[in-house]
Amino acid sequence: MVNLTTKYLGLELKNPLIVGSSGLTANFESIERLAENGAAAVVLKSIFEEEILLEYKDTLSKELGFQENNLEFFDYYDLQLKDNAIEKTSQLISEIKNKLDIKVIASINCRSTGEWFSYAAKLQDAGADALELNIYRISSSAEENAQTISDNYLRIVKKVMNHVSIPVSVKMSPYFTDTSHMASRLSEAGVAGLVLFNRFYNPDIDLVNNKIVSGQVYSNATDYSWPLRWLAILNGQVKADLAASTGIHTPETMIKMLVSGASAVQVVSSLYKNGSDYLMDFLHGLEKWMSEKELETIDDLRNYGKQMMPDNPEMFERVQFMRYFSGH
Amino acid sequence: MTNITDHLKEERNAAWREELRKAKKNKERTDLTRVEMPSAPPRERARSYVEVNSGLSPEQAINEASRCIDCPNPTCITGCPVNINIPKFIKNIERGQFLDAARTLKETSALPAVCGRVCPQEKQCEANCFYTLKLKREPVAIGYLERFAADYEQNSGEISLPEVAPSNGIKVAVIGSGPAGLAFAGDMAKAGYEVHMLEALHEIGGVLKYGIPEFRLPNKVVDIEIEGLRKMGVKFETNFIVGKTATVEELREEGFKGFFIGSGAGLPRFMNIPGENLVGILSSNEYLTRVNLMGASIQGMDTPVMRGKNVVVIGGGNTAMDSVRTALRLGAEKATIIYRRSLEEMPARVEEVKHAKEEGVEFLTLNNPVEFIGDENGKVKQIRVQKMSLGEPDASGRRSPVPIEGSEYIIDADTVVVSVGVSPNPLIPQSLPDLEVSRWGTLVVDQDTLQTSIPDIFAGGDIVRGGATVILAMGDGRKAAASMHLYLQGK
Repeated sequence: MVNLTTKYLGLELKNPLIVGSSGLTANFESIERLAENGAAAVVLKSIFEEEILLEYKDTLSKELGFQENNLEFFDYYDLQLKDNAIEKTSQLISEIKNKLDIKVIASINCRSTGEWFSYAAKLQDAGADALELNIYRISSSAEENAQTISDNYLRIVKKVMNHVSIPVSVKMSPYFTDTSHMASRLSEAGVAGLVLFNRFYNPDIDLVNNKIVSGQVYSNATDYSWPLRWLAILNGQVKADLAASTGIHTPETMIKMLVSGASAVQVVSSLYKNGSDYLMDFLHGLEKWMSEKELETIDDLRNYGKQMMPDNPEMFERVQFMRYFSGH
Repeated sequence: MTNITDHLKEERNAAWREELRKAKKNKERTDLTRVEMPSAPPRERARSYVEVNSGLSPEQAINEASRCIDCPNPTCITGCPVNINIPKFIKNIERGQFLDAARTLKETSALPAVCGRVCPQEKQCEANCFYTLKLKREPVAIGYLERFAADYEQNSGEISLPEVAPSNGIKVAVIGSGPAGLAFAGDMAKAGYEVHMLEALHEIGGVLKYGIPEFRLPNKVVDIEIEGLRKMGVKFETNFIVGKTATVEELREEGFKGFFIGSGAGLPRFMNIPGENLVGILSSNEYLTRVNLMGASIQGMDTPVMRGKNVVVIGGGNTAMDSVRTALRLGAEKATIIYRRSLEEMPARVEEVKHAKEEGVEFLTLNNPVEFIGDENGKVKQIRVQKMSLGEPDASGRRSPVPIEGSEYIIDADTVVVSVGVSPNPLIPQSLPDLEVSRWGTLVVDQDTLQTSIPDIFAGGDIVRGGATVILAMGDGRKAAASMHLYLQGK
């Protein structure tokens, strides 16, 4: 009998399978289905600072009265939107904790410090087991250099951590110049887990209708290679737990991530494509492989992985297609 | 619309108007400069409740009125939310017929003495004056003139009471005695209805009394209007909370055939940032109500108010200005506004900001609090503030405030008044689950009739609009009265 329990962010998970922040984790009914199909944890749909600001602007454009007669009423309306979002999420957390056997990781996507750290505290009060911060944004300004950008992330993260006692994880962008350094800084700051990596909204161009549209939303099955690489590099280098995200579409990919050092994996696109019961396929696939390899626990699996890994990570640092290796 | 334009043309073609226009050349008129409102000296008035603006003298009013060139196409009227016949009332002032001017105002506006003082004319009529639009000069002081005419009538003892139709025996209830309710009551009483105003507080007037301070809108001005309604037969009941003291259903059983909800938007909103529950932090609603309604400015009252030495008010609207200026009058050594955008973007009336500055209020714009810090007794002592910069414009054309990373710093404060907006009063919607309510808690009404989802219930003012202006509330009250009259007569 295979024991799939694992530890991530100090939480005892019944298995390494987490459903990532998405529309699948936005309401109770959907989360209930995920729990029934075996998910150990969910990362709730993010509360987006940007989304709230967009809704605020949209509301103003529709509701601002003639001669701005109600401007005073709407001037700070974004605060109310934030409150509503927090309230809604808090209620969801409460319901999940009361009725389901699944860990809840609340997610905040914020672009600035401002007062956002205080919302993290409210989510903790509502019963969230942990927090996932998603703070990447693209700076199109030539004025902002990497140091400034990185320092800002740290500032936001530290601010949040000063106001909560539950574990905090950071969903990292795959595009840092200094991924190792950033991971290390975050880990030293006390971040309990690093999710490698975030997957971004991509704009695309509609050549028929001549407009900018949303690009492909789901990940592809081959998108896992970058997170896999960095798991292998960072494993053992940083104190924080590592979780894998992007392109985990099959049990095999999930296993590769665990073997490379992930404590847990996050899946989203594969469930959209195959349905919530695909979670069972992941778990059965993992169990089957572990049985075949005579591994009884996830710790056994991690050790198995360690033995496979080279002593130095040069192999995972390789990015260019060199002739010497073209035979592979 | 055509009949209004024709009507205006007809009025403009009246002999007296023609004569008046001929009496002075337009160049003579436009050569005059806009009158300056006499006001009490700033530093002194900041320690008293004397009305800041003293009002124009008759000479000043006539002079200012003569600046108006009586445009063939009066754009000022399009700027008025209730389409007051502005040139007509102004020309009446010019010819010295001040009572006629007041009567002209009252053809459309139920509360001209109030509106003349509190309307944001700089966005309304005066923004559309010929002087502003074409000459790029200071507009005719329409607001000051309205106040002059209305005050003149009030002080003359010759307040024209409209003719009241014979009683038709139909009882209607007005829930809330603010500007919307007062305007509604006046028109319904005129039409012969038996009007009962049911007010939750112990004083009639709503936001005119509890919200707008004495130094901006003296209670006496409001009381005269209320007295007028009393003379017309309107009955007032205070300390009456509809939904608790009696439900609408119970009132129906008592014979009420129609209801007007004018319960306003007086529910305070907070920022919900850490430390906001410390002692010494209160909503502007509470702060102002204690002073304006509960006598807290007088020492020894049962309902005192926090008298801070270093008072910080958060927000940029009229309520924030009222609060910060009240703080000075309560003895604050330092009174500061913290607003996250810039001065130009504040929703407050331009005159209020000007008066606040004159009185010594400090303005910390492009700043936003993120946390309140307390002492060992749980009382606020400091605020952690973050600097803001202005980003992209939003729908109102104002640029969005963007926090500047790493810019936080601490300021001292012993009293904080949070004035970041209000929400609609939830009492009525809570007691009437069938009443359709928007996502902001405002009542959903038919745009033309102001009828709610319950046929015998109409609504107007802030409970429908969210926090808006007195003149709009008043306009709603009049519109709803006309609709309810049709509805009840049709039954």
